[in-house]
Amino acid sequence: MTDVTKRYGRAGVLALDALSFEIPTGRITGFIGHNGAGKTTAFSIVAGFLPPDSGAVDILGLGPFDARKLKGKLGVLPQDAALPDRHTPVELFRHLCRLQGMGAAAALREADRVLEAVRLGDRRRSRIHTLSHGMRRRVAVASALCGSPALVLLDEPLAGLDPVQAHALRDTIANLRGTQTVVISSHNLGELERISDRVVMLSAGRCIRQGTLSEVTGQAEVVHWTLAHADAPLDALRARLPDHTFTLEGVRLTQRAGSEVDLDAASVAVMAVLAEAGVAVRALSRGVGLERRFIRDSEAATAPR
Amino acid sequence: MTDVWHIAVFELRRAIRTWRAAALLSLFAVSSAGATYLFVRMVGLMENALADQLMVPRTRVPGTMLRELTESDTWREVVSGMVGAEQVTDFVLSIPPLALFDLWFLFLLVPFFAAAAAAESISIDVQSRAIRYETLRTGRPELVLGRFIGQLLLTWFATLMSAGIVFGVGIGFMVIEDRGSLLAWLLWFSLRASAFAVPFVGLGIAASQITSSPAWARVMAITATAGSWVAFGVAVLLQRSERWAVLGDVLLQVLPQGWMQGMWGAGLAWLPAGGVQMGLGLALVALGYLRFARRDL
Repeated sequence: MTDVTKRYGRAGVLALDALSFEIPTGRITGFIGHNGAGKTTAFSIVAGFLPPDSGAVDILGLGPFDARKLKGKLGVLPQDAALPDRHTPVELFRHLCRLQGMGAAAALREADRVLEAVRLGDRRRSRIHTLSHGMRRRVAVASALCGSPALVLLDEPLAGLDPVQAHALRDTIANLRGTQTVVISSHNLGELERISDRVVMLSAGRCIRQGTLSEVTGQAEVVHWTLAHADAPLDALRARLPDHTFTLEGVRLTQRAGSEVDLDAASVAVMAVLAEAGVAVRALSRGVGLERRFIRDSEAATAPR
Repeated sequence: MTDVWHIAVFELRRAIRTWRAAALLSLFAVSSAGATYLFVRMVGLMENALADQLMVPRTRVPGTMLRELTESDTWREVVSGMVGAEQVTDFVLSIPPLALFDLWFLFLLVPFFAAAAAAESISIDVQSRAIRYETLRTGRPELVLGRFIGQLLLTWFATLMSAGIVFGVGIGFMVIEDRGSLLAWLLWFSLRASAFAVPFVGLGIAASQITSSPAWARVMAITATAGSWVAFGVAVLLQRSERWAVLGDVLLQVLPQGWMQGMWGAGLAWLPAGGVQMGLGLALVALGYLRFARRDL
């Protein structure tokens, strides 16, 4: 998506403000933003539900949305679209697969496969309106997986699911890694951190950060050590690792690496220095965490200049 | 075209399963049964009047003197009034009275059923956004055309149901000598009635594309259908006047009812009028599509 702008209504409310981002193939990308940041609008433009006011969209190298060109190549879970609930899941999926160009027998097999993938095989002949909210959500997610499309957009796939269902669905989505390109929008950043390879952050219709999870959260740059006592041997650490900076706040020691440093080897060195000084380590974590990074970045993006 | 067919079949299945369509079909069935029963009673009264005229004993079951009745001038006047065209009266007199009544009744009722049912076809899914599951996988023209054909199939289903009801009421309350012939005529006429309904299905689909509110779409479609009958009456009056005859002619060309007499033609003579109805229906669908093509979904 390049410089895509979208305004809504006569008032011209700005939903996307020259939004640009890229999604690499074969990866799972988390799409993060506040309510109204433009996530659903961006998905809707990619899926052809809305036309952009300006800018360019290129999907799988085939240009902007065209149902005929993208037949069977794009699967979308729309955030707030009701399912055609007078049908059974198997009828719905068979229909969607036929529209994706499959033959009758292949469509039926595929319908059964995706229903099994979301653990609804035993409800294949139940009318959708008789299913629970969680089951309907899984049916909706499964619709996006019909025919194993090359690109799958999932808008809040785990919303409203209980922890067991969410865990199972997360596994199903994780299994797509490497074979399909998946973009997931969610407010649950913990979930996204567990499942995503890459992250795109949106704020006020603009992309404020994108990159691998490691880059975005600083996993390759920052290590937090929680010590048993607030007396770290800072001079010894700085002498041993001159490319690193060390700060101590109470029992929390923060280690920042310079560029292109093997942080694993450096951590071993820090551990050795701490051990020599007789300082016990209670915990250690890398990076700042996706949630903290997003809050910092979005506050910075919206702060008055 | 494959997508159009898949969508049409899916639409028919959806439409039949909604309670609104079930309510409309039930209303249609009850109206059909009631009207047919009244018609049978009317035939009985006319037979009794004819028996009195011929000074023969009255019959207890309608249909006993059907041959004498259909050959009478009274019946010719009734048929001429129903069909409204002298040139096809001879053909119409040769068909079973119940089949004649069925087609006449369907011409009056089916437009309202067709328009009301079709009006929610697209709007209801735009409102709930369920339409996104299909527009992701097929073009909007294919989607609209598929829904249109699905609603035509639903209308045909309704006319077939009406044929069955008329047949059932007929054999239950009337003497019918050739049941096979009656059934064949009823089934054949269900096709003609469906053809006459095409512009009204188109009207419903057009309304359904214009607004995302199914209730508003239904109001628009039913009002426009009722309006078309009023316009038809006005057009006939204009045609009879000297000053506005041309305007009346033009109006009749663009109104489905203006081609209704042609729908009574013998054999396949109704097909040109049926073709015009199809054209009118597609034109209305295309008119609605101008809005739907640019619509945010």
